[in-house]
Amino acid sequence: MSIGHQRARRITLLILAAGHLLVAPAALRANPVQFNRDILPVLSDNCFLCHGPDQNTRKAKLRLDVREIAVERGAIVPGQPGESELIHRIFTADEDDLMPPPASHKKLTDAQKQLLRQWIAEGAEYQPHWAYIRPERPAVPKVRNAKSELRNPIDAFILAELEKRDIKPSPEAGKRTLLRRLSLDLTGLPPTPAEVAAYLKDKSPKAYERQVDRLLASPHFGERMAVPWLDVVRYADTVGYHGDQNQNIFPYRDYVINAFNRNQPFDQFTIEQLAGDLLPHPTTGQKVATGFNRLNMMTREGGAQAKEYLAKYQADRVRTVAATWLGSTMGCAECHDHKYDPFSMKDFYAMEAFFADLKQWGVYADYDYTPNPDLKGVGNDHPFPPEIVVESPYLQQRLGRLRAEIRKSIEAASAKLKADSEHRTSFDDWRQKSRSFLKQFPTGWSTPTPEVALRIKDTNAVLATNFTIHADATVAFSDRAKENTRFTLTLSEAWLAAIRLELTPHADSATNADAKKFKGTAIALSASLKSKEGDRETKLSFSHAEADHKQDRFAMSQPILGVTGRWQISPDHDSQTAVWLPAKPVRVAAGDVLIVNLGNANIASARVSVSPLAAAEPLSSGAGEALVKALTRSSPSKTQKELLNQTYLLSTAWDGDTFAKVQKLLADVRECRDGRAFTMVSESREPVVTRVLPRGNWQDESGAIVEPATPRFLPQPLQHDGQRLTRLDLARWLVSRDNPLTARTVVNRYWKEFFGRGLSAVVDDLGAQGEPPSHPDLLDWLAVEFMESGWNTKHLIKLMVMSATYRQSSSQRLDLKDLDPANRLLAAQNPRRLEAEFVRDNALAIAGLLNTDLGGPSAYPYQPPDYYANLQFPDRDYYPSKDERQYRRGVYSWWQRTFFHPMLANFDAPSREECTAQRVVSNTPQQMLTLLNDPTFVEAARVFAERVLAAKGASDAQRIDFAFQNALARPAKAGEKDSLLKFLKAQREHYRTEAVESGKLMKVGLAPAPPGADTSELAAWTQVCRVILNLHETITRY
Amino acid sequence: MKPELDPKQFALDINRRTFLGRAAYGLGGMALASLLNPGVIGGTARAEERWRGIIHPPHFPIKARRIIHLCMAGGPSHLETFDYKPKLKEIHGQPFPESFTKGQQLAQLQNTALKARGPFCEFKRWGESGQEISTLFPHIGGIADDLCIIRSMHTEQINHDPAHFFMNTGSIIKGRPSMGSWLLYGLGAETENLPGFVVLTSAGRTGQQPVSARQWSAGFLPSKFQGIQFQSKGDAVHYVGNPEGVCQSTQRQVVEEIKRMNGILAGDTIDPEIQTRISQLELAFQMQTSVPELTDFKSEPKEMLEMYGVKNPGDGSFASNCLLARRLAERGVRFIQLYHRAWDHHGDIENGMKWGAEDCDQASAALVKDLKQRGMLDDTLILWGGEFGRTPMGQGSGRDHHILAFSVWLAGGGIKGGITWGSTDELGYRYIEDAQQMHVHDLHATMLRLCGIDHKRLTYRYQGRDFRLTDVFGKVVEGILA
Repeated sequence: MSIGHQRARRITLLILAAGHLLVAPAALRANPVQFNRDILPVLSDNCFLCHGPDQNTRKAKLRLDVREIAVERGAIVPGQPGESELIHRIFTADEDDLMPPPASHKKLTDAQKQLLRQWIAEGAEYQPHWAYIRPERPAVPKVRNAKSELRNPIDAFILAELEKRDIKPSPEAGKRTLLRRLSLDLTGLPPTPAEVAAYLKDKSPKAYERQVDRLLASPHFGERMAVPWLDVVRYADTVGYHGDQNQNIFPYRDYVINAFNRNQPFDQFTIEQLAGDLLPHPTTGQKVATGFNRLNMMTREGGAQAKEYLAKYQADRVRTVAATWLGSTMGCAECHDHKYDPFSMKDFYAMEAFFADLKQWGVYADYDYTPNPDLKGVGNDHPFPPEIVVESPYLQQRLGRLRAEIRKSIEAASAKLKADSEHRTSFDDWRQKSRSFLKQFPTGWSTPTPEVALRIKDTNAVLATNFTIHADATVAFSDRAKENTRFTLTLSEAWLAAIRLELTPHADSATNADAKKFKGTAIALSASLKSKEGDRETKLSFSHAEADHKQDRFAMSQPILGVTGRWQISPDHDSQTAVWLPAKPVRVAAGDVLIVNLGNANIASARVSVSPLAAAEPLSSGAGEALVKALTRSSPSKTQKELLNQTYLLSTAWDGDTFAKVQKLLADVRECRDGRAFTMVSESREPVVTRVLPRGNWQDESGAIVEPATPRFLPQPLQHDGQRLTRLDLARWLVSRDNPLTARTVVNRYWKEFFGRGLSAVVDDLGAQGEPPSHPDLLDWLAVEFMESGWNTKHLIKLMVMSATYRQSSSQRLDLKDLDPANRLLAAQNPRRLEAEFVRDNALAIAGLLNTDLGGPSAYPYQPPDYYANLQFPDRDYYPSKDERQYRRGVYSWWQRTFFHPMLANFDAPSREECTAQRVVSNTPQQMLTLLNDPTFVEAARVFAERVLAAKGASDAQRIDFAFQNALARPAKAGEKDSLLKFLKAQREHYRTEAVESGKLMKVGLAPAPPGADTSELAAWTQVCRVILNLHETITRY
Repeated sequence: MKPELDPKQFALDINRRTFLGRAAYGLGGMALASLLNPGVIGGTARAEERWRGIIHPPHFPIKARRIIHLCMAGGPSHLETFDYKPKLKEIHGQPFPESFTKGQQLAQLQNTALKARGPFCEFKRWGESGQEISTLFPHIGGIADDLCIIRSMHTEQINHDPAHFFMNTGSIIKGRPSMGSWLLYGLGAETENLPGFVVLTSAGRTGQQPVSARQWSAGFLPSKFQGIQFQSKGDAVHYVGNPEGVCQSTQRQVVEEIKRMNGILAGDTIDPEIQTRISQLELAFQMQTSVPELTDFKSEPKEMLEMYGVKNPGDGSFASNCLLARRLAERGVRFIQLYHRAWDHHGDIENGMKWGAEDCDQASAALVKDLKQRGMLDDTLILWGGEFGRTPMGQGSGRDHHILAFSVWLAGGGIKGGITWGSTDELGYRYIEDAQQMHVHDLHATMLRLCGIDHKRLTYRYQGRDFRLTDVFGKVVEGILA
């Protein structure tokens, strides 16, 4: 080591102690000066702004990023610092000459100046930027150390650096800590006490690996690994701009989770997302994957210029692709050549051009001032096309569960029926009456001739001349506009269980040629009943209505289910039918009157019928063949019995509780939409022209037209005979073996997930302004290993977590606080606070509340009221999930970009408006308020307390141990136990005298308190559990 | 991630580690236990934790210790507030001269015939300074001598969402910090019991547009600098209320117990975050007391409520929010931002402006007067204005969005009162390009200057670049400084 270098190093350490900013930790600089590690960061940060790649801001024609020019201009005279203008300029006392100029507010430290001098003295060697060189597999370094610390090549790279400095790695963490670490890192969930016990018992040398394999195979692995990916692709449930409307995209999220679970090779994963639609015969999954290209923010704001927003969308895509795969900040090149890295403006727009074929609109609406014929009639409640419909395994499973529950409920009710003679008599009576009804009305529908009243539009005059009542009770209208059309039907004694409206043109109703006039007509049907004697009308409410033909209407970007409130009739059919089911069937007496109001519908004809027989699906009401057989057969089969039981319940609501329950379940079934869901996808069309936008100005059309191309300083993709490159070419280029950036970027991000920080700490910038990796050879080795393993993600992750480096204790090393304050040498693991989603999952899992379903529509955790008050177009409300979906994992939380859930926000989750490769990890009062008071965590503590109290005859100390085993995978320490026992005593005393308080506490959250529980005891233990869920250790993986 | 190379944080960690090192290795178990007594730790740690800002000493003398931004969301018309254009009135209803509009970006007036729309209201000269203000705003007229009206404002974004974002962050790229976050990062807070950056929202009868939480996001700055939105329903701050069935004393015991247990962890695990966690927990608990105290208006006398025009204190109206803003200012909150969503008058601008003024005029003026009588106006900067202006061309019965000219006013901390700064052409279409022009970046630079900060030196390294509120632009407009 040269004397000069020793001096530089001493100065460096002095500065470090004084708390000054350093480019690279001192401990890493044990060798002669290296351009990439020591010099480039200094030049880039201080000089490149005026003497770097951007030709428009270059001063004095001097470039310091190109050696030839720096030497030619005399700034650098290799080997002769005294002759070099650069050295003169940085050391001078003359303010006019000083570089960087004082006005720039940039200042070199003494250590940096010395380094520059030394570097020129040593010959001023440049290196190509490390991240732009094709990674080759470096030799694994030889180390002296014991075998136990050398579990795989990762350790050799880490130990080699430690040995150079005579540093011993930390010992392996205890087995409990290790299993908790592994579980949280690989699945985002804590280990159960049983899993801990099994691992402790397993003395085999393979014990640890068995756990790794078990967790990698867990379906929760995908949920865990999806989270950082969803951050970079900016996955969210809403569009982000202005009205922040909902977008349909959850199948894409499920695709990502599934891709991790089945260990889809990363190159395929990349290709499918960027260009799945361009693959030959793309599968549904590949199309779903292309939702990636649709995750940019979108607008529907009135007055927005389509061209301006298209420019925003395209630029957003370039920033995302560059950050996600290239670890590069290409966004800088939207308005000017990049200041530090060799990306030109042309590179930026040539990258945009890859996406010029995407079917998209700048403004997803059709306004008078910005007409958009493609999206005619699209309003704030419409989805954001193009979309496809796909099957959702989650919804299909849910559908199965719900249907089974309906069957079970009806079975339970019919068991009650069998057991009770009074009920049985009623049933027999119903069956008898239904039979005779069917004899009279074989279809199950009766059609009394109506009295009709209506008024002329605008004049409000009652008119009785523009309709004809036919023998079949069809009312045909002439084509005059009308209002307040009322049908009055006199009923016979029966159940009123369904109302049917048929629109069937007769010869004298408005002809088919006139049908166009009726397009767009909507029927908002309302009905009321009046008894024979009385004159009070009782309004009927409906549980559901459905039509055989209709025009879709939308709410929150989804088609509205059924036609209950409004039936927008189909323009394409002459005959159409809809059936309304009353919220509860009504027993009507002979002579009672049903009044059906069709509102202001502009229809050609109408016929109203009623039925005493309701079905689960409105259109199946009345009598189908199966029901007729079941009713008439004296000894019905099992299926027929089931049908009878169901029809009896739905048509009479004889068992009120079961009826209500089944109605709720049926509503849930409908919400599953046959197990299918909409999802946004990429659709290709003729590419639009892409130009360089001078200074990023979308209104300036003077820029050159560009074709799709990858940044010109990087190895180029295959060209096919001058054919235009496509998204597929881009995707293949990203994951080609020659691309120097992708594997490094991805591997570096994974490293951060398991060691707390990337090998290059600035994971979203591997460029000149980023940080040279602490272990460049290790990063390259891993990058090559990743590519050569076939981009095998699980293989890569397994390598990381199997390493001895990973398994070290995470207690920070006081002995290294000067030498390696940020623990970049990894002589210990780093503790890692759980990300927002896993803070939630962890608490729910500990409490035993967690819903472990995979995939499906986003769920709605409790959220403070009125949080969406500032949202409009449409106005928004928030309805927390009211069933088991309340306890779904954080990865499924509804992600409203403009107002994302406060719990997620407080724990540093990003809004996902912009690609985010690295979440901030903060430690704030808001986090503590959340853990203390958010109903999610209070309820979790309450339910956790129930579990703690469930064991019969356990002592308080044993219960505390049980709680610790569940929350922290370890028993409580003596000090902890003593302290908590004292605390528990005080809580008991408090809640024994405060029954009202404990009663209130039991009502926090959906989960009911167990019947007959000692609520004061439960309240006291709830406080203990709140303490445990709030511990720093609970939200940290050590 | 905690900014890894943040020098102060780094020094702090070293301190903590040194402290812990001594605790863990130099003292016996008993002494350790007492050292880790949460009360003691709470006290010391708090002093260490309080963020005092990255800028100190300040680059310039601090004139404004705090900023209150009364954001008139939706974009109020400058032509009916502070920029009187008799010429426009003259040509009311006539085709708008094409020489003004050619090649300019329009919003909803795209593809339509443009017609001049004159101001519908009268203007009057107010106070000794004789500033011209519309008669819709008599109370603001009454404080004309305290105001610096800027008529030469212009921005770059013509739709609400990006225009707000530009006004708040000087950028349209998501993930950039808002000005409140920048200020908090730069100067720190003067309160520990309340967030240093608070946002209040209210809505008018018409002209509402959505406002996103992005507007007060800390972006790439650590999230402790984010704006905290106070709610008028439920807890004023999310999760600040104790759970049902947990009284304040129980909550205190829970907090103490968590601190004690975390202290035990700190005794045998070396992780500086534990101490931070303990002090943040204490801060959280203090916030649980100070927020209810803050939002309890009982101590405000009747005359005070009347001066602001508050009907039901805490009802979430603009008037109530103005009074709350004063209470926040008194308690040392650094940046207070009020959004009143009422000013997007594409149609029926006559009623829209009238109603907007009814809801905002009195309370805005009361806030200035109230601060003045308390001697706080001298070091409080008030900014009143929207994200853009409105077209001198009519849009039916209203006006469209307009970015080439709009008006705002500033008052208080270091601002020259009683002056009108900058001007627009005779039709109020475009700002006059002279020394008095004021781009959003210039406004930011000037506001930071009043807070003692050189806008070029308030930077944060993100993705390899030093970012500023003013991007690479902005110049301090010295002429409006007192």
